[in-house]
Amino acid sequence: MSEKEPKILSFLCNWCSYGAADLAGVSRMEYPSNIRVIRIPCTGRMSPKFILAGLRQGADAVWVSG
Amino acid sequence: MHTLSEVTEVSGTAGNFNVTLHEDARYIDINKCTGCGDCAAACPVSLPSLFEQGLGERKATYRPYAQAVPGAYSITKKDRSPCTNACPDHVNAHAYVALVAQKKYPEALEVIKRTLPLPGVIGRVCPHPCEDACRRQEVDAPVSICTLKRFVADQVDIENSPIPEITPRQEKVAVIGAGPAGLTAAYFLAIDGFQVTIFEALPVGGGMLRVGIPDYRLPPAVLEKEIRAIQRLGVKIQYDTALGRDITVDSLMADGFESVYLAVGAHASMKLNIPGEDTEGVITGVRFLRESALYERKQASGHVVIVGGGDVAIDAARSATRMGADNVTILYRRTRAEMPARNEEIEDAIEEGIHIDFLMAPQEVVAENGKVSGLKCLRMELGQPDESGRRRPVPIEGSEFVVACDMIIPAIGQRVNPAFLEGTSGIELTKWNTIVTDTISCETSRSGVFAGGDAQSGPWIAIGAVAAGRRAAESIRRYIDKEDLKQGRDPIEPPQKNFNPIPEKIEPQFREQMARIPVAERVSGFTEVEKGFTEEQALTEAGKCLNCMVCCECFECVKACGADALTLATHMDKPHSTELNVGAIILAPGFAPYDPSGLDFYGFDTLPNVVTSMQYERMLSASGPFGGHLVRPSDHQEPKKIGWIQCVGSRDQNKCNNSYCSSVCCMYAIKEAVISKEHAGEDLECAIFFMDMRTPGKEFERFYETAKGKHGIRFERSRIHTIEQTDDGNQLTVRYFTEDGRLVDEIFDIMVLSIGLETPPDLVDLARRLDIDLTPGNFARTDIFNPVATSKDGIFVCGAFQGPKDIPQSVIDASAAASAAGELLATARNTMTKTKEIIPETNIVGERPRIGVFVCKCGSNIAGVVDVPSVREYAESLPYVDYAADNMYTCSQDTQDMMTQIIKEQHLNRVVVAACTPKTHEPLFQETLVNAGLNKYLFEMTNIRNQDSWVHKNNPELATEKAKDLIRMAVAKVALMEPLVETELSINQTAMVLGGGIAGMTAAQSLAVQGYETHLIERNDYLGGQAVNLFHTSQGDKVQEKLADVIRTVEANDNIKIHLNTELTHVDGFVGNFVSTLASGGQSEELEHGIAVLATGATPYIPTEYAYGQAPNILTSLELDQKLIADDPMLKTMNAAAFIQCVGSREPDRPYCSRVCCTHSIENALELKKRNPDMNVYILYRDIRTYGEKEYLYKAAREQGVIFIRYSLNNKPVVSATGGAITLKVTDHVLGLPVELSVDMVTLATAIIPYADEKLANFFKVPMNEDGFFIEKHAKLGPSEFATDGAFLCGMAHYPKPIDESIAQAKAASSRAVTLLSQKTIFSSGTIAQVDPMKCAACGVCVSICPYSAPSFAAEGRFAGKAEINPVLCKGCGLCVASCRSGAIHLKGFDTDQIFSQIFELDAAV
Repeated sequence: MSEKEPKILSFLCNWCSYGAADLAGVSRMEYPSNIRVIRIPCTGRMSPKFILAGLRQGADAVWVSG
Repeated sequence: MHTLSEVTEVSGTAGNFNVTLHEDARYIDINKCTGCGDCAAACPVSLPSLFEQGLGERKATYRPYAQAVPGAYSITKKDRSPCTNACPDHVNAHAYVALVAQKKYPEALEVIKRTLPLPGVIGRVCPHPCEDACRRQEVDAPVSICTLKRFVADQVDIENSPIPEITPRQEKVAVIGAGPAGLTAAYFLAIDGFQVTIFEALPVGGGMLRVGIPDYRLPPAVLEKEIRAIQRLGVKIQYDTALGRDITVDSLMADGFESVYLAVGAHASMKLNIPGEDTEGVITGVRFLRESALYERKQASGHVVIVGGGDVAIDAARSATRMGADNVTILYRRTRAEMPARNEEIEDAIEEGIHIDFLMAPQEVVAENGKVSGLKCLRMELGQPDESGRRRPVPIEGSEFVVACDMIIPAIGQRVNPAFLEGTSGIELTKWNTIVTDTISCETSRSGVFAGGDAQSGPWIAIGAVAAGRRAAESIRRYIDKEDLKQGRDPIEPPQKNFNPIPEKIEPQFREQMARIPVAERVSGFTEVEKGFTEEQALTEAGKCLNCMVCCECFECVKACGADALTLATHMDKPHSTELNVGAIILAPGFAPYDPSGLDFYGFDTLPNVVTSMQYERMLSASGPFGGHLVRPSDHQEPKKIGWIQCVGSRDQNKCNNSYCSSVCCMYAIKEAVISKEHAGEDLECAIFFMDMRTPGKEFERFYETAKGKHGIRFERSRIHTIEQTDDGNQLTVRYFTEDGRLVDEIFDIMVLSIGLETPPDLVDLARRLDIDLTPGNFARTDIFNPVATSKDGIFVCGAFQGPKDIPQSVIDASAAASAAGELLATARNTMTKTKEIIPETNIVGERPRIGVFVCKCGSNIAGVVDVPSVREYAESLPYVDYAADNMYTCSQDTQDMMTQIIKEQHLNRVVVAACTPKTHEPLFQETLVNAGLNKYLFEMTNIRNQDSWVHKNNPELATEKAKDLIRMAVAKVALMEPLVETELSINQTAMVLGGGIAGMTAAQSLAVQGYETHLIERNDYLGGQAVNLFHTSQGDKVQEKLADVIRTVEANDNIKIHLNTELTHVDGFVGNFVSTLASGGQSEELEHGIAVLATGATPYIPTEYAYGQAPNILTSLELDQKLIADDPMLKTMNAAAFIQCVGSREPDRPYCSRVCCTHSIENALELKKRNPDMNVYILYRDIRTYGEKEYLYKAAREQGVIFIRYSLNNKPVVSATGGAITLKVTDHVLGLPVELSVDMVTLATAIIPYADEKLANFFKVPMNEDGFFIEKHAKLGPSEFATDGAFLCGMAHYPKPIDESIAQAKAASSRAVTLLSQKTIFSSGTIAQVDPMKCAACGVCVSICPYSAPSFAAEGRFAGKAEINPVLCKGCGLCVASCRSGAIHLKGFDTDQIFSQIFELDAAV
């Protein structure tokens, strides 16, 4: 990675986005490694507190996908 | 599951079929394969991927697509490649060529050495029968296989290549002769561990390779190196030791040699048998070459004459040239065409200045002073062919003349010198002095003595001697091991028919030629002439291989497989037959997409930017050939304009004989266009060229309108003329006729052919084998009232083999077929179940976490990128981690057993697996926990493959760091996991069906036949629903007769309790335990039931338009049916009748298609024509939607003169009724002019309207769409059930549909219900929400937002009024948890503290 990369925390829905992230791997796509995934049962589970906590822990961005 | 299988035979009857399956070999152990894909990564053979529609490639070892079930790989193998097959030694040419193409030279050498220890030698001298067999010559020229072998040998130092592991043995074997046969036998005997000594008469090794082939063709250094490589295995060579002179077979036996291999060669020359042959200056070719090879190069001078036409003659001539002869002439008694020498050798000789005189026969050596001065010859001419097929030379009388010369080299053949038998007895020779052997074992007439090579076969090619040596080595091993010499060695001729097809789009290429040294340099010495291939040349040639066998058996996959699933043994798997005894058969073999090849006006064969819709699906896919980037195939530029052509291979009898509608293409084309717009943005122009837009499915019409409106997709009613390429080759000119007859040219970037569905020929064969009837479109024939039963009892059908259909209808049919089979086999249910052993759960409450972390290597999939040992070490350092391990394949059975053991031994109470994805493997590891006595929720899986090693493969360090972070997060979470309980719930075995129409009755009947007491609730005082109004079906059945049968059957079934005049007034409870209140005639009763089927139907629209009600002969469709049922005489006497379609359907305030009306009106139009052929019948329509094989009705109506006039929504027909006369005004779509029709009757094809019963929806907490139809669980995959467990859906309450589809869905609803009922008890998930009533504020948010109706207010007890969650209904989504403002709800397994713990572990990560 050349420049400073943003550090991303992501919450992925088990049923769609998490599966899509798996498929990205199966398809041998490549993307930067500065993302950490937390699997959640549904984006309905998301709480604003998780996003705030992530930012407070130093994440530059929080990505919720579902 | 039987994969790679085909049904070859079926016998027996319903309830008892015997089925024979032909199962192809998978070549991989399906039970051991973990699906990691390491084998495919190692495989050198690529071929077009069927899944990618030929736009992408796959390997010979492959999985059809990423999510394929089973996930195990398989290998495609066809007949043995012709090159390998043609080689006398069966050197695996296909494999080494494939490996060269991958630049895997050491691996290629290893393949060659499996059968040939002399690759550099044979790669130079072989006349390569492999190339004669190569199928590439059907395209251009054979692959230069032989030179590729030499290339491999030149790349890899054979002397330093790995030696196979050898287990030494004490037995000694003597090999006589160090030629190709002897060396090869010694090599393979040494690998078997024997103590091998070669006795060689000459002072050098190699036999004829050394003393028969001149150095400019085979440099001695190459041969010597390969001999030294053989000696590395422990083979000793004793030179200057001749059998018959220095040793005998007996002396060898006496010296302790157990067996002797005779490979003495054929080193004697044939004589010319002419006078003067012994004169000084006459030297045989064999001797000449031997002496020039063995001793200091002798000088030659003057004119040298060689007699003969074989390789030896050429070798002698070219050697003489190099030795300084002034002139060299070859005399041959026939012509060039008959010369046995290799053509390239002859050309080389001529190039080097050698003169060849044909049709010359030597008569006598002319001597002067005791030395040669000339050769008297006779001229010849060609006569009749001899036994070899060559024309026999016949002398021309009186043509004698003398060729003046200084040296004569007769080179007319070799023979075996029998001197080796001196002092040896018991070895039989043929009359040509060759050794007699058994053809299979190579054993001579003396036991323990074997023979091969030229000494046995007579002079032949070197690779033949190699083959003989290898065969003899096996015999000698068997002889010493006292095994049968012949068993299993019968010569087999492998089939040579079924090969990988030669691609159609293949460009002929020139064959690569080796560089050669210049002629001047050639003739001045013995430097090697041919320089071999450059790497570039080698790669080009290797890349031309057609992979005839597909799998080349290089066995790189065997090396790559760490799971022991792919071995040399599995590579030998054979296809086999399996016999099954079954009660019912369900056919779901699908369809083949129509192949538009050959339709030249579309240019699919030649134009890269014309693609099929199936290819286009792959082009849109993120995992497809272009990674989801929408580009033109020709130049990978982004398209600006894309068009779709509908009905390619459908509704077309002229070009493809598929006159049916494929049902799905309109919808998928719209979908593809919309997705394209989403991919490429608003600037992309999309146009769909069509005849009728057919979107009769649920929500389809709305999608069509959105595509037109919001997405701006253009719909062009038209006929395509041609597609041609523009001059730059990147765009397409589409020429088409518009609806008003104009011819238009328009430029597009990509044209998509919306290809139809058809039954492939092998399915037609299957149908014949099964003896089931097919329709004219080759679909399985079914009956409207039995839509999933074939013409043969006990054989059911679903999916596109029943008729072209989309996913929801296929899924409905599938469940219906399961139900039909279930009804047939109801008595056998639960007779073959097995009970699983239950392992007691360890109580871990109160224990501190003792976490075990298992890090998977997944072969090289993870370990190839992530530093697994360091990750394991890191895991050991984390809090509460008591144990960490890394495993080659954590999912393999032996690792599972080991994990169970470790969990018990280490008293672990939490487990983390860092491996692939929990989506596929979590249940497997949870099972392991259960087997170890742990609650399965004390587990967390983290994904270091799909979401780490695979996507960061070029960044191993960062991937390793990420793996550590993910494990730290998982460890933190798992420490907080608690054992969770899965609540058990019993299922009441009674069913309730709401609605007594065809759907409701069918569902009730199906449930009752499968043994469930069923209550059928009908609000009217009769059964039959809307079917009581219908005249006949699209297949011509009289509906009233069939309906009466259905009602009789239902009434006769003791398991069905019919409640007429009954309304549902209240429903309590949930899945498995509903309590419904039924009201009838002022009485109420309560019914307890486990499931409910909603089949409440729909009603006809009562029109307010088109002068309905103003004249008696303006009817609705159902009213016309009543007249037809009553056989109203006016129907025969009328002169003209009209139908108006889409009355109340496809309108802005009712934007759906009622699906059945087009077919219904056409049926009735045909019926009117039948009753009165002279009647003028008009159908005024917007699009004719006779999907599937209903299209035949539309065709028949046109043929019978029914007039179809299209109108548009903004220019509707106008009906006026004055007195008895009805007048219709409509604009004709062809003429573009208004026309006026006087008709006696107008039938309005009115919409089907749902009841939109809010009360009912609330009872079962099920949703309705904007139109008032119930919303199913999933539009595609759950069409017959609700998201709310225990409630099922069928019939027109779901969407308007004809009788067959209603019946199928009713059976489907029953099938889905039975999957629940038959379990008797169900378990909730452990990961569900739970309310802490002390914190609950009873606000009701959770109750209102839950899509599954799981939360409710407690009715009684200490916490009455507070929310409580029904564990059985909860799906664990967490919606209520996130929305609970007092934090009273916890989602087990994903609780707030657990997610926070993961977030808190980030700080090190971010």
